[in-house]
Amino acid sequence: MEEFKVPKKFPTTVVGSYPKLDPAPEILRKLRKKELDEKDFHELVRPAIKKVVDDYLWAGIDIISDGEQSREDMVVYFAERIKGYTVGDWVRIFDNTYFRRPVIFDKVEWTSPMTIEDWEYARSISKKRPVKAILTGPYTMVEWSFDLYYKDRKEAVLDIAKVIRKEVEEYLRRGVKYVQVDEPALSTRPWREDAELVKEALEIIFRGVQAKRVIHICFGRLERILPYILDYPVDQFDLEFKNSDFRLLSYLKEYSFDKELGYGVIDVHSLQIENIDEIVKDIEKLMKLDIIGPEKIYIDPDCGLKRLPREIARAKLRNMVEAAKIARERW
Amino acid sequence: MTFKAWSNVLGGFHRPRLIRHALRDFERGSLAFGMIEDLLKTASAEIIGTQVSLGMRFVTDGMLDWHDIFRPFVEAWRNVYPDGLLRYFDNNFFYRIPVFKEEPEPSKLVLATRIRAFKELAEPANFKVVIPGPLTFTLLSKNESGLSKEELAKSIAKVLNMELKEAVSAGALAVQIDEPIVIDPYIELDDINLLSDLTKIVFDGVEAFKILAIYFGVPKKEVYKKLIDLKVDSISLPLIENPKNFLDLIKDFGVGDKIPILGVINTRNIYDDNYDLVKNIVKKSVDIIKPDEIGLTTSSWQDLIPYRYSLRKTVILGEYAERLSRELGFDYINPLSIV
Ligand SMILES: [Zn+2]
Repeated sequence: MEEFKVPKKFPTTVVGSYPKLDPAPEILRKLRKKELDEKDFHELVRPAIKKVVDDYLWAGIDIISDGEQSREDMVVYFAERIKGYTVGDWVRIFDNTYFRRPVIFDKVEWTSPMTIEDWEYARSISKKRPVKAILTGPYTMVEWSFDLYYKDRKEAVLDIAKVIRKEVEEYLRRGVKYVQVDEPALSTRPWREDAELVKEALEIIFRGVQAKRVIHICFGRLERILPYILDYPVDQFDLEFKNSDFRLLSYLKEYSFDKELGYGVIDVHSLQIENIDEIVKDIEKLMKLDIIGPEKIYIDPDCGLKRLPREIARAKLRNMVEAAKIARERW
Repeated sequence: MTFKAWSNVLGGFHRPRLIRHALRDFERGSLAFGMIEDLLKTASAEIIGTQVSLGMRFVTDGMLDWHDIFRPFVEAWRNVYPDGLLRYFDNNFFYRIPVFKEEPEPSKLVLATRIRAFKELAEPANFKVVIPGPLTFTLLSKNESGLSKEELAKSIAKVLNMELKEAVSAGALAVQIDEPIVIDPYIELDDINLLSDLTKIVFDGVEAFKILAIYFGVPKKEVYKKLIDLKVDSISLPLIENPKNFLDLIKDFGVGDKIPILGVINTRNIYDDNYDLVKNIVKKSVDIIKPDEIGLTTSSWQDLIPYRYSLRKTVILGEYAERLSRELGFDYINPLSIV
């Protein structure tokens, strides 16, 4: 098959997660009840990944993900697979939805690939579109766990960074093109000290990595941490804009932002489907400021789509892709 | 010099499995609402009983059915609805953003019926009600009402005032407004000035022990100075979140005429709190403040940690409070031991 070409201007992508599609919820339940081993689990979750990839292809997304169908939660998934972690008790995330907030009880260690199987499967059915490797960052892992082993937060974060690094190496061996680290916890603590800790962790994770290095951060006080993160060893910042009404844009200008930008134009907290016109106008907001050129701008949603109903998620993506096409003509 | 000390938990508890499953079954349509009410009563009774038996002066019902602190009110009021999810401060917990379309009007009141249902279970302790503070409510909502921020905040405060008055006539002896938004490092001083008006509105004509609770962090100095001037009887501060900064604030500005409630049991982790650290913070605080009376409490609601730890932290609070009182010579008020 001919190689798929990611558009030079305004390529479209996703942040990672997608609504859980059948049979993923049932398979996850079985895994939790220990009725499945890890190998069977990844085998059985494939139909869900297939549906996600089909939705992405239908919408026309250029750089896709596996939809994180295996991940009950972005932190729990890794905690279940990193040595030194144990899965804790249920803690509420919202409404009547819970996650098993993990507990660090010993020194953390990587033992075997955690996310590769789903990624490889997605890649095998992606019609040659690149599939992002998406990993939860060490800072978020620590912030959203209970730590009963490391007395020092920094030590815990850097040790987990080494674990994530091992996983990245597995991807590199398989020719990954995009590696994204998610650090949503960072924007909730917009302090220099925290931002610098994440930088140290990223240096471990991304040292010498030739693939496109992406960090995703969302919600909270992005404009406050911006000055502390601009020199991160990454190629691309993937950020939320739509939900905060593009407040961040003027700060990008102010700080002469010149890396690649994952530009969030879809509000994942709203059930309203953004129309094409609206998205084009939102792209225009960025273009007018003349901060970076269209070849550095990736169009995507603010964050993962997992909390949306499937029909709304795919409709939002479709409009986003259509808007990107118009943008390519215009700029 | 001896002074009085007592303890109470700050707010709600995590849901036990019984309630998690019941609510799930209800959402799926396989359990009738009447059944849930019975189960809620059972589970709340356990939580109330835990607090009472540990000598808490004020007890809450645990707020087990509240999806977030705003939701019961959003659902009971007209002209506001719960929308998408947004992160609640720096926790891995999300609340639904209240969207105000017009001035809120209560179609029913939330608190009074709860008090009538639970008041007797709380004896001999007293019942405390907790509501979202009007400033936090306003600033964490979306305002599509056409009203200014100030107008909307005041209208929210008015409805909350109705809630509190009704709660007090139903038997609540303590009323607490939660204003965690004041720890936001970027909050405007104008908003804190507004809080002064809002506090007057929300507590107008409310004859009960009035508490302002803040949590999740340390307010800026300029903000703290204004907080201790608010018209409340007591201020609850999460000292354990950052003992040094809080002690500095107390040293520099005192606590006004407020009865300080010291949040010394950390309810955002699952450790058993270090007793010596807790003792040290309490001792330093009372050495600076020289109060006639203090309360001891948790650093936040207990809904951010698993159920068993939410109980465990209550045990630690009760035990430490009694032990501290013995060792530091406080006159400890335990409703169970008052004849
Ligand atoms: Zn995100």
